[in-house]
Amino acid sequence: MALELDRSIIGSEFDRTIFDPVTDAEVAEYAAASTEPQPDQTIASPTFVVRLRGRRFMPSNLPPDLGRAAFDAGKDIEWGAPIRVGDVLTAVSTVHDIYEKTGRSGSMRFLVLRTVITNQRSEQVAVIDQRMMFR
Amino acid sequence: MRIEDIDVGHELGPLALTLSGEQVRQYSIAARMPGGRFMSDEDARKEGLPGQIVPGNLSMALFSRLISESLPGAVLKRLNATFRGLVRPGYALLIHGVVTEKHSSDHGDFVECDLVLENTEGDRWVTGTATVQLP
Amino acid sequence: MILDLHTHSEASEDSRAPVETYLKWLARKREALPIDGIVLTEHRQWNSHADYRALEDAYGLVILRGAEVETDYGHVLVYGVNEDITRRFDFTNVRLSAQELIPAVAHMGGIAVPCHPGRPTIGLCEHYETKPPIDGVVAVEALNGGSRRGENERVHALIERYGYHAFGGSDSHLVSFIGICATEFDHEIRTIDDLVQTLFQGGYRPLDFRDQLRKVS
Repeated sequence: MALELDRSIIGSEFDRTIFDPVTDAEVAEYAAASTEPQPDQTIASPTFVVRLRGRRFMPSNLPPDLGRAAFDAGKDIEWGAPIRVGDVLTAVSTVHDIYEKTGRSGSMRFLVLRTVITNQRSEQVAVIDQRMMFR
Repeated sequence: MRIEDIDVGHELGPLALTLSGEQVRQYSIAARMPGGRFMSDEDARKEGLPGQIVPGNLSMALFSRLISESLPGAVLKRLNATFRGLVRPGYALLIHGVVTEKHSSDHGDFVECDLVLENTEGDRWVTGTATVQLP
Repeated sequence: MILDLHTHSEASEDSRAPVETYLKWLARKREALPIDGIVLTEHRQWNSHADYRALEDAYGLVILRGAEVETDYGHVLVYGVNEDITRRFDFTNVRLSAQELIPAVAHMGGIAVPCHPGRPTIGLCEHYETKPPIDGVVAVEALNGGSRRGENERVHALIERYGYHAFGGSDSHLVSFIGICATEFDHEIRTIDDLVQTLFQGGYRPLDFRDQLRKVS
């Protein structure tokens, strides 16, 4: 029998965070550490968006049978407006999907968390779908 | 690089590198994800892992870097990555890709790419795709 | 005739490969990859309405469909999926009974064949170490394009011991991996019924194009 995963949490918002204005130091530090080129000094490199983790990274009402250990299984990032120094960004996170499959590591449950990031002009900066694997 | 300069099958990279434990640690701090597993072998083992691991986000940053270096002037619009195994610092990595499609519309000129991060024996630890807008 | 029997399109949650882009890639790589068609084997699902005849006509390639399901003996490819099969087996269930699935699918007009048998946890080889062999297995995927070092090699002993037929597939989740491993058939395969019948009877073998592709690129 298929493991019954509680799908009622799909669509629920679990975090909304407004970040302090992006600084040039943060942008430079990330670019240097990631080795990813910056378009210019005032614009963050593309994967800077992964830094924008809200106050709550996971929903608090996870199904109890999801599993103990959590691993990053992958991401899908879609970019809109570039992030500029001084931008005030808001990240809203929801549960996007939950499913189960088996792989080399055995039985795994996946939680897909969607984070939509907008800037102070209400422009969409990025949509990130993060797949968390539990076992 | 413009769309007429690129054919389907155009290869990206390869980028050959070995990440040190310190680089991984610095990245994790810059990316605001200073979890034990990314900081040291000792901390990672406490989580049941064989040793320090590279965050998936850094693998994505390396994909982004590959695209920037291989397609100068291109803008990353979408990046997807699946983390298929643990990437460890201290092991030689090969990051490469290939253009699989190109298309033009009123919105601009785009190419689609497949991306791979593998070890020197051909084990593919991270695979992904990207949509890139060309100038 | 050469077919890639194990492929995933963007319908599988871990693939980003559109079907048409697969076909365009094969058309461009014809010299290195003389593939005549593909079988889409999406994870844990079956869409009875999907229709690729227009793409077949446009690209002159055969496009057939199956599914990759998950069982207590590892992953299994199912060809010849029909309503009887989907009514009996929930493809989203990751704990299907292989002992039940494989004979039942054959009885209902299809064929279910273990894929990547050398892979840890989700491959047949490991399960055969502790569990009895499955009745009704006639073929296994001896060559899988997504397998790691040593995993394909493990399958030889299984094939020799049980006399299984061997086939190959790319297990592609990316466009550029389509056709890297495939199956060569002695006779033409135009329909899913042709494929099901032939997989039972024999007259095919796995092909590995990976070395050829490395030389070309």
